[in-house]
Order: sequence, then C-alpha cells, then structure tokens
Amino acid sequence: MSKIEVNHLTVDYIEKKKSFTALKDVSFSIQSGEFVSVIGSSGCGKSTLLSILEGIHTPTSGEILIDGEPIKGTGTDRGVVFQHYSLFPWMTARKNVAFGIKQVNKSASRTERYQIADAFLEKVGLEQFKNKYPSQLSGGMQQRVAIARALAMDTDILLMDEPFGAIDAKNRTILQELLLELWEGDGTKERKTVVFVTHDIDEAILLSDKIVMMTANPGRVYREIKVPFDRPRNRAQLVQTKDYNVFRNKLLSMFYSDIADKIGGEEVVL
Amino acid sequence: MNIQTNASPTIQFDKKTKTESPLKAEIFSRYFRVVHALFAVLILIQLLPDQLPTETYAAYAVWFAAGVEVLTLILSAFIKKPASLNLFVDIVAFIYGLLIAWTLATAKFNILKAALFPPPGKVLWQFISDYDKILTNIQSSVGIILQGYLLAIAAAVPLGLFLGWSARLGGAAAYISKFLGAIPPIVYIPYGIALLPTFRSVSVFVIFLATFWPVLGGTMSGVMNVEKKTIDSAKVLNVGKFTMLFSVILPASLQQIFIGCNQGLTVSFVLLTSAEMIGAQSGLGYYIKNYSDFGDYTRTIVGLIVVGIVIVFISFIFNRIQKFLLRWKQ
Repeated sequence: MSKIEVNHLTVDYIEKKKSFTALKDVSFSIQSGEFVSVIGSSGCGKSTLLSILEGIHTPTSGEILIDGEPIKGTGTDRGVVFQHYSLFPWMTARKNVAFGIKQVNKSASRTERYQIADAFLEKVGLEQFKNKYPSQLSGGMQQRVAIARALAMDTDILLMDEPFGAIDAKNRTILQELLLELWEGDGTKERKTVVFVTHDIDEAILLSDKIVMMTANPGRVYREIKVPFDRPRNRAQLVQTKDYNVFRNKLLSMFYSDIADKIGGEEVVL
Repeated sequence: MNIQTNASPTIQFDKKTKTESPLKAEIFSRYFRVVHALFAVLILIQLLPDQLPTETYAAYAVWFAAGVEVLTLILSAFIKKPASLNLFVDIVAFIYGLLIAWTLATAKFNILKAALFPPPGKVLWQFISDYDKILTNIQSSVGIILQGYLLAIAAAVPLGLFLGWSARLGGAAAYISKFLGAIPPIVYIPYGIALLPTFRSVSVFVIFLATFWPVLGGTMSGVMNVEKKTIDSAKVLNVGKFTMLFSVILPASLQQIFIGCNQGLTVSFVLLTSAEMIGAQSGLGYYIKNYSDFGDYTRTIVGLIVVGIVIVFISFIFNRIQKFLLRWKQ
C-alpha cells in the first residue's frame, strides 16, 4: 500500500461568480520514505494540491488517502514548511520549535521539549541563535528554524511548499544540501515521506526520487518521472556527469513542450 | 640630523593632543551646558527683595533646585547616550526656566494675583507638609482606576478573542460594540448612582465601561486582522482551540489590544478626576476641588502637579509593559 494516494482530485474555486478549476482529476501515489517533488509553472495548482494534503482546504471531489485513510483536516502525522511566515514572530527560535513539539507530544515536559528543540536547532546550525526572535534572523535562518521544527515534530510525512523560493541563490544551495543531508540521514532511521513543491528543475532533480510534473489551466498531472541517480547524492559530482545533463535536458524539453502545446505547438521557437 | 631631532618632538606633541582633545571635548560637552547657567540664575534671583507680605518659603525652592542640580551632575556622568543626556538636560532646563519665571512673577515682582498664584517655595512646602494626605488620595484614585481598568481588560480580552474568532457573531458584535462604545461613559453615571451603593463602586463601574468597549473593539479588530498565513501555520501544527485562541491569536493581535487599552486608560483618568470633583470624599479630584472651594490655591496647585506626576508615572509603567510584551517586533 502506498503511503499517500491521490485519487481523482478536482478542486473548483468560485471567484467573482466565475468558476475556476485549479485541479482536474489529479491522481498519483507516493511510497513510504519516498521524496517526491511536484513541479510546474505558476497557476498549475501545485500549491492547492499541497494545501489539501495539509488539510487546510477540502477538494470539490476525489480524495487523498494517507495509509489508506482519507484526510480529514489537519493532522499530527504531517509536518509543514511554508515559503513564508511559518514561524510565530512572538516566539524565539527555540520556543517556535518547542511549540511544534508540544502539539505532537503532549507528555513531554518543558525541559524535554527544550532539549529536543536545541538538538534540532544544532542540526540546522543555529544553536547560537536559539534565543533570537524571527525578526532578528535572516530569511534563510528563518527557514532553517522552520525545517528544524518540522523535523523535531518527527512526523511520518513532510510537506514543503516552495520552502527555498524566497532565498537568495547561494543560501538556497546550502539549504538544499542541508535538507538532503538531514533527510538521507545515516541510514539508522527510516526516511520520511516528503512532498516538495518547487518550480526549480535543478532543485527537484537533486532532492527527489520522483518528479510529478504538472500543467496549468486546469491543473493536471503531465508526467511522472523517476529520478535515476543513486543516494547519497553530491551536488558537485552529480552536476558534472553526462547522465545528469541528459536527464535535465529531457525534463526541460518536457517542461517547455507542455508550454508549447498550450500556446500553439510547433510555431513557438524557444 | 637637525631636521630629525626637530621632527620627533613635534610628532610626540601631536600624539598627545590627539589623545587628550576628545576627552576634553567629552567633558566639556557633558558638563558645560546652558542648564547649569539657568540654575545659577535661579539661585541669584533669590537675592532680589521679596514683594509679598506673606512668607515665601524660598529655602524650599532653593533646596529643591539644588537637589535637581546634584542629580543632573551625577547623571551627566552616567548617561551614556548623548541623545538621552540631551533629553534629560532639556527637561531639567525647562523646570529651571519655569521656576525662574514663576519666582519672578510671584515673590519678586508680584505681577500675578498673590491669592491665586503662590510662590514655588510655598507649593513645595505645602506638598511636604501634606505628604500623608496626598499619598492617601493617590491610593484612593489609583486603586479605583486599577480595579475598574483591570476588571474591564480581564473581561473584554477573552470576549473579544471569542467574538472576533467566531465568523458569525463577530460581524454583529463589531457594530454593537461600536454603537455602545460611542456613548460617552459619563452618561452612565446616573444609572450607576441609582444602582450601586457607594461612590467607589459607581466609579469602578464607569471606568469599567470606559475601558471595556475600546479594549473589546481593539481585540476584535486585532483578531479579525490576524494574517491568514499565521493562522494556517498554527492549523498545520494541529493546535487545539484553546491554544489557537490564547497562544496564537492573542499574541498576534496584541498590538491592537494595546491601542484599546491605551485609549481606556486616558479616558479613565479624565472620568475619575471629573467624578471626584463632583461627588467624592477622597481622591485627587476631590483634593483639588475641596481646597479650591476654600480658596486654598497653594493646595490646588499641589493637587494639579500631583495629578500630572501620577498620570505620567502610570503611562510610563504602561509603556514599559507594552514594550516588554511586544519586544519581538523589530
């Protein structure tokens, strides 16, 4: 049985009395411990899809099953990292992480929660900043705290909605490698199931086992592509291989042929 | 050779002046200020002959000014930031200027009506001799304010959180609280008097109403304006209803709640001092009204100054609390 099963998901929005289909008959499945990226241009419904996985929105029809059970609202089996503002500005980095732990582990004492929080802040390299408020941290540091919180909650599933979309290129690279390292782990623990929304093809290839490419108007699954590279992955080595470049070009041409299909096929010169 | 021997002492001399001059400038900028000249003027004008037939208690004014001067000199050495020092010194200069003008207009030239405007020394003397009485009246006024004010906050904040969070009730409640909050709380006084047994309970009741509506309105608008992203972040953490309201929505709307609290505090003071001037047997408003009825304008001025000091002090505490609770904002 798959960890996550998306079955014939359709979402209609009504905006100014006009109906708008964000997702149309979207189906795919994710195995336990799999890292899946959902990629597509803006407006393809990838964030809508994630908000249904988060349990914030409900679909018009169809359903998502987790371990065979349909999603009913938010749950403690899923940790989430948003692009912006996942942190509470009135809590220090440590309290933000400890607050997340408290929601999934009611029995842990305050001291225990702080201990776990400190350990995870150390993992993301922020042990010196644990008593800082989010407004005192850079965007990249804030996302590190958000990742520390999601990991400290120790949920089976991790949902990430363009978590590095607003970070500058250099820090984005560092954060991608950090996430890869934390997720791959040392092999002693079972890997988490990750759904990672992005519009960056290189990011998707580096991180994922599988890429779900979506297309817009209405949002549908265009292709599902397995990423054929061994783990643990090393960016510097990977990008130099011929296989990587062949694979990347294949994805890019799919990405653009989808756009070409949309606006008139062969006449478009890229 | 000659050039070399000449050159080296010049360089040394340069070095010396370089290290010394900023220190000198520092001392000069800290201690040589107009404020100290004003202090000297204030002391010197005491030598002019008095024009008043009554005792002026000039010694009290001199001792007071001397105390302020010593404090200023000590703090001049300890306040690090130039901006803070300037602020403090400017306030002291204002006090000296006021005392100079006041002394000249009363004791020295008798320009103002002596019965209505006592000299500053006499006001200070009266303050010291009435100290116990003033303290009791401060306690009475501040006690009433705190009781009504804190009760109102304790009631309005949870109710505002609940109403603001409830999509259905919130809309209607916003209009109702706007309407009820628009009624000046002073018009509730007749009802208060008819319903409640003592002046104290009526005052607490009116202050309660004066604070309740702005705090309720502030809390509700705060809750309704909490960013959707903040609420979504809490939702995906799967927080319970209670945690959502008190650990997420409450801190997120704190700034707006403080706007309501601030408004309530200002109105409360205006209301209480007015009410005390009409019907009370204690409190600062009563102190002022009672002695002015007897033509004792020295005590009336004492009362005015004390009311000012108490309000400034309470606002200061309030701002400190607000700053502490909102310390996470940049």
